[in-house]
Amino acid sequence: MKQSKDPFEAALEEQEESPPDSPVGEDELNSQIPNEAQNQTNGGQNILLDDDDDYDELGPTIKNPSHPSSSSTPKLHSASVNASIAAAVTNKNKEYDDDEEEENVDVELSKFPSSADPTKMAKMQAILSQFTEDQMSRYESFRRSALQKSNMRRLLVSITGSQKISLPMTIVVCGIAKMFVGELVEKARMVMTERKESGPIRPCHIREAYRRLKLEGKVPKRSVQRLFR
Amino acid sequence: MSNPSTGASSKSKLASSQPSETSFKRKRGVFQKDLQHMMYGFGDDPNPLPETVALVEDIVVEYVTDLAHKAQDIGSNRGKLSVEDFLYLIRKDLPKLNRATELLSMQEELKQARKAFEVDEEKLGTLE
Repeated sequence: MKQSKDPFEAALEEQEESPPDSPVGEDELNSQIPNEAQNQTNGGQNILLDDDDDYDELGPTIKNPSHPSSSSTPKLHSASVNASIAAAVTNKNKEYDDDEEEENVDVELSKFPSSADPTKMAKMQAILSQFTEDQMSRYESFRRSALQKSNMRRLLVSITGSQKISLPMTIVVCGIAKMFVGELVEKARMVMTERKESGPIRPCHIREAYRRLKLEGKVPKRSVQRLFR
Repeated sequence: MSNPSTGASSKSKLASSQPSETSFKRKRGVFQKDLQHMMYGFGDDPNPLPETVALVEDIVVEYVTDLAHKAQDIGSNRGKLSVEDFLYLIRKDLPKLNRATELLSMQEELKQARKAFEVDEEKLGTLE
């Protein structure tokens, strides 16, 4: 059976080539569950690698948080995420003779389990198994969302004026920016609860959050005022 | 405020055939789609308000710009910009620093893994 499109590999390609809304990853996740039913018990080791799975290059395969195709239960969601990682592990052993044109295809995810902490992973497993569907979809968005490397690279080139922006630099800046967004949004939510408001976050909350972050010193201050925008 | 040059570059995503040296040409909505999912992941509504997303994008671009400028100042001693400059800038912020080092080490691992796989495939190719 030709399994040339691992979800992570598919995400890697999508990151490079096609628009991110292609449902390839979604199908792959669902199709891999029957394969990996037997690997569930084994999964304690190499699943839900807390830190390692986070790798942002893997990109947002599942774009719509309320996507109906994986509609059943949170178990399915966690199972699918588990299954995809477990599948990738066995994939590496099966697919040597696969004829693959794309370059980014063969990500050896079997390396990840060794660097993860088993107690931490067990804890994560326990927490994740009790997520509601809403929580699971939000967590999935959190893990899989990322800023596009190509856009970031373009931005960095335009800022620095130099063409030599290495790939690690792009990756690091994307990661830092994502965490910054997280700080902003979390602080905006705190501001909202203080003001006892609800609903979507409004620009005024973000501005207040940004002001507070500046006071805390988490935002780099420019020594020269930016006069013209 | 009617500036025709900025109007042309507002929403159109030109293929950057010429690299713009100055950051005046800022296309809006560059990170918009990703930011929507990211904000949902971090606690916002499943559909964030578009003005909120635009504001967050502006703030993030400004943050990255400031960071890159500072990194350039630091790296100018060496002559070129490197990753260590960014790592030095976020040294006070421990979560970001740890995340950045983790990303870097993972990228190294993936690179090694890909290289190893290519070597294996060559070997298999010669066997067959």
